[in-house]
Formats: sequence, structure tokens, C-alpha cells
Amino acid sequence: MVVFLDAVEKALTGKPCSERDYDLKIFSTKLREVVKEYDIKYDPENLVSSDNSLADDIFKAAFDFYCEVGTYCKDTERIIKFDENEIKDRLRNSPSRIVFGEGVDAGTMVPRKPEDRTPPWRFVGAGGVAVSSEDVFMGLVENYAKIPIANSITTPTLTRVNGIRIRPYSPLEILGAIRTVALGREAIRRAGRPGLPIMNSIATADSAIALVAGLHPEYGLRPTDGYMVATLAELKTNFDLLNRACALMSLGLPTAAIFGPIFGGYCGGPEGTAVVTVAYHLMGALVYQAGWFLAFPIHIKHIASSMPELLWVASVYAQAISRNTHLLALYYDYTAAGPCTKMSLYEMAAQYTAAITSGVSMETGGIAKGRREDYLTPVEPRFAAEVAYAAAGMKREDANEIVKNLASKYVDKIADPPIGMKYQECCDTKTGKPSRKCLNIYNGVRKELKDLGLDLSRNEREY
Amino acid sequence: MINMGEEELLKTLSESVVACDRDAVVKAAQQAIEKGLDPVKAIEKGLSKGAITVGEKFDRLEIFLTDLMMAADAMKAGLDILLPLISEEKVLKKGTVVSGTVKGDIHDIGKNILSALFSANGFEVHDLGVDVSTSKFIEEAEKVRADIIALSALMSSTIGGQKDVIDYLSETGKREKFIVMVGGGPTTREWTEEIGADGYAETAMEAVKVALELIEKKRS
Repeated sequence: MVVFLDAVEKALTGKPCSERDYDLKIFSTKLREVVKEYDIKYDPENLVSSDNSLADDIFKAAFDFYCEVGTYCKDTERIIKFDENEIKDRLRNSPSRIVFGEGVDAGTMVPRKPEDRTPPWRFVGAGGVAVSSEDVFMGLVENYAKIPIANSITTPTLTRVNGIRIRPYSPLEILGAIRTVALGREAIRRAGRPGLPIMNSIATADSAIALVAGLHPEYGLRPTDGYMVATLAELKTNFDLLNRACALMSLGLPTAAIFGPIFGGYCGGPEGTAVVTVAYHLMGALVYQAGWFLAFPIHIKHIASSMPELLWVASVYAQAISRNTHLLALYYDYTAAGPCTKMSLYEMAAQYTAAITSGVSMETGGIAKGRREDYLTPVEPRFAAEVAYAAAGMKREDANEIVKNLASKYVDKIADPPIGMKYQECCDTKTGKPSRKCLNIYNGVRKELKDLGLDLSRNEREY
Repeated sequence: MINMGEEELLKTLSESVVACDRDAVVKAAQQAIEKGLDPVKAIEKGLSKGAITVGEKFDRLEIFLTDLMMAADAMKAGLDILLPLISEEKVLKKGTVVSGTVKGDIHDIGKNILSALFSANGFEVHDLGVDVSTSKFIEEAEKVRADIIALSALMSSTIGGQKDVIDYLSETGKREKFIVMVGGGPTTREWTEEIGADGYAETAMEAVKVALELIEKKRS
């Protein structure tokens, strides 16, 4: 079986290639070939596809594609490639369940299938979006942990240490990473759920050195928390990311590969983006030895993932993975609109209904495109988790009608979405309680969803 | 009035850029020279016209990044042949841009799109790549007499690098020499104002328009 050192050796001895040639001559050319060979076509009438053969063809296309193009290592300017048997072997041996968390707050992440009634893993919070201060960080994380349906937490990212803006690879980043861990753990403890896992460890650490600094047990991270290693667009890595994977693997920590294939970039259109999203799972399993996987296909221009083409991508990539592997796969959303807006809730409901009914789990993600400091509240993650929970077991055909209906409510506003409100404007900063306005929006959209056939009150009876 | 031969050549230049066909652009540019076509006209009514179409198509996502990069390559191949024949080269150039992703940030796709669109729209682009140090931006801008320094950053943890370049320029008395534009995931208009940058855009196409306006304002 391929082990981590094999990938590192391949990075040193693989075929030499300029990055430009990899992008334009290898990646783009082969991607067009497999999309054509497998006759993969976007279908705007079926944003949630019920076509199993399409899902399987996307998986086969991604498998052939990844065998051919591999992963580009930017530091060695070589291609890390694996053969068919190495990929199959690694997929067979990838974990099919991981326990996260401690004591009564522990839970087991398991794979799902399309239309599966198994509740999705509900990884809830900020999705690493930036906050301006430690107070906002604490207020948010404590209130994320109070969401009853949450079974793991995704913290925000700190941008300042004692008011000084963090610079990457600097002591400020190390201090920020350590504080993220210590504050996150304390906030969860304050919520009364001390065993709840933090699964985007460590949000503030972009570099391997900051990650390693924050891993010291003194600061509060545990082997049952979740850890992440990013990739570079598209299908690329470098030594710093491999260093992160190396450090985490050496400690036996449950590591996710995270990837955001860009619709409109080298992936091309929805068909190519779906194939590349699946290929990233193979990369994560082989290059990083990842045990769980987080995908966030994203629009190159609108920096969101709620447009119809990307709803289709979320559906078909999730079905390709869930029908053909037992990988522990999660979907992460980006909304164009900001907190405390109906539009952001419609965008979330559409995305998670598409992904969950197609067989993956979820992390709540980048609201207001994930680009604005403090544009976060506990209401949107709660809503998203409730949608995900309620959508489990729904028929894909029914999900398709709901998703199309929701998309029609916001698609014309994506280019100029409402930015919503900051945490400090939406919530009581002492208690974290959302404003009446915010709750009215939440309750109103919940009612609309019930009328559409997605009853979130089911959650209250069952969780 | 131009004759049909010229008209066809201009159309071929433009369409070959749109088709991302580097070889066809080179052939058409050489034919333009052989037929005595005014190189200024060949660029403005041929290559640039095609580049504008490419930018518009990319903005509507009728074409994707690979096509954009290849079209920019084709455009550059044509310019390499035609520009040396123009004595007042500066007249044609919209401006000179030094672009790159700031120190500590290794993401390059947004910056690549920007560089390709600037090139395609007649700017001379000096792309310094990723993880570029503050002083490197400034040294290069001085060396090539840039009009614009364009700073890309994708992460909330790296946008501080944009402020560092502006602060460095201010503290070394060079701020007025350059227009500084910022862009990338976490940048916003509020951030642009906070750090004292001159321009900001959410998309690369918008950045080209903003750049043209800023240059015109500065020159006037």
C-alpha cells in the first residue's frame, strides 16, 4: 500500500514539468478528454441528479484523469503519480469510520449513500472565516457549541494578536494559532459540552510551523479533534503542505484533505469541476494519507457555490464518491449573501439539500463569500445543520424540486447580494442571542421550507 | 479606407486571439508586416479587438481560465512581432503593471487571471509570481517604471502584506510614484480605504477598468 513516504519520494523523482505546462498541457487537456470520453453533461433540469450511471461515469472519469495527471509538487516542479492498483488499494484501505470527540460529546463519522437516512456528520460553525477580535471569537464559538444538533465545531480564524494584524510565517501567526486552540477549547467548555471536537484545527495556522506550534497538548487540542491539510488549485501541493501532513500523520491524528476546485478556472465548466472534485479525494487519500475529505467547489467570479451549475456539481460529485467508495466525505458551502438575510438561508438550504441527499456529510462554511470579518452568527450554522439533518433520507427527485425552487429565489441576486450584518450587529455580544430580526428571518425561511416539503421541525423531535 | 486584404488580416488577427491560436496569430502578424499594414492598426483593430472579446467572454464564463491564458499567450506572440516596428511604442501601451501575490501567500490563480487580462488589454505586465517580498515589488516597479503595483492576497492572514507594501512605499517617500491596486478573496473596499490603496476590484475584468481610470486620472 502507498505510504506517505512514497508520495514524498515521488515528489522528488516524478516527471519534471513546468507549472504552466502542467496547467495548460496536462491538466486541462486530459480533463477535456475524459469529460468528452465519458460524455458528462451538465443538466440544469436535474440540479440534484437521480442518474446513478452519471455518478459512476464521473467517478471513472476522475479515476482515469488522476492516474494520468497526478499531483503537481510546486517545490520540486515534478508530478507525483500513482498507478491504478495503488489508487484502488489506497481507497480500499481508507478508514470507513472515525470517532471524534470525548465522553458524552463523542460521535462516529460514517460514510453515507445517496438517499441514505443515516444522519450526516454535522460540523458546525464559522468554517474558518475571519473575526476581528478574541471577544467575537469566543462569543461565536460558545454559541456554536450550544447548537443542540452540532456534533463538532469549526472555529473562526483570528486576524490579530493584541490588535496587531497577523503576518504569515511570523511569530504573530504562531501566537494566533496557539490562541485559536486555547480560546476554542475554553469557549466550548463554557457552553457545557467540553468533549465536543474542534475539527478545523488549527484555523489560524496557514503554515506548518504555526500548526506544529499549536499542536502541543498544553494548549488543549486532542487526538480526537479533526485536522486539515489544504491543497493548491488545481491538484497541487508543496513542501509546507506536505510538512503539515507529515506532522499530523506522525502523531496519528485524523487528517482531512480540503480542496476548492474552481468552476471557470482550469476545471472549466460544471462537468470538469465535478470530475476534478472527485479527483481531489484520490489526491487526499494518496498524497496526504487523509482519512476524511472536505470539498468546496467554488465559482471563480462570484466566490460562492450556490449557483445552479455548482449545485449540480455538489450533487454529482457527492454521488460519485458515495456510490463508489467508502470515503468519509463532507461538503462545505459558500453563500454570496451575508448573515441575517433570507438569501443566505435559501443558498444554504439549496446546497445542503443537494449534497446530503447525494450521500455526503457537511461543514458549514463561508457566509458572505467568507471574505468579511465578523460577518458570522450562530443562526446560519444552526439552520444549515437542521437542513442537513432533515434532508437525510429524502428522495433525490424530491430534493431536485426543492433545490430548483430555492435557487430560483436568489439566482438573479448572486451578482449583487445583500451583505447582511456582523455578529456585533445581529447578536447580543454578552449572551450571543440573535436579534428578533434575525430570528424572524430564520423562522420565516423554516416555514417556507416546510411548505416546500423540507420539515426542519423533525429535528426537534429526533435529535 | 482599408482594402479587403487588410480587413481580412485584421479580422484574422482578432479571431485568432479569440480562438487562442498562437500559431495563427504569429502567421497573421507576419503577413501584416509583409503586406505593409500599419502595425498600430494591426494591434488596435486586430489583436486588441480580439483581446477585448476574450475578456468579455471570460467575464460571462463563455470561456474559462485555460482559454484566457492561451489567448493572452497568443496576444503576446503577436505583440512581440508588431511592437518592435512601432517607434512610439509607449503610445500604444495602456500602462505598465507589476503584479504578484504578497509575501507569505502562495495562491496564484486570481493573480494569473489578472495578469492575463491586463496583458490582453494592452498593458505591459511584469508578473513576479507568488510569495513576493515587499522590496521586490518596489524594486521591480522602479526598474520597469511601472504605473501600477497590483497586489493579490487570498487569505485573511496574508492581506497584511498589501498594507506592508503601501507602508514601505510611504515611509521611503515613494508612495506618489505608483498607483497601488489590491485584490483577492478577503479584500474589500473598506480594507482598501483602511490601508490607503488607490484601487480595488472584485473581479479581474473590473480591475482592468479601474486601472485604466486610475492611469487616466494620474496622467491628467
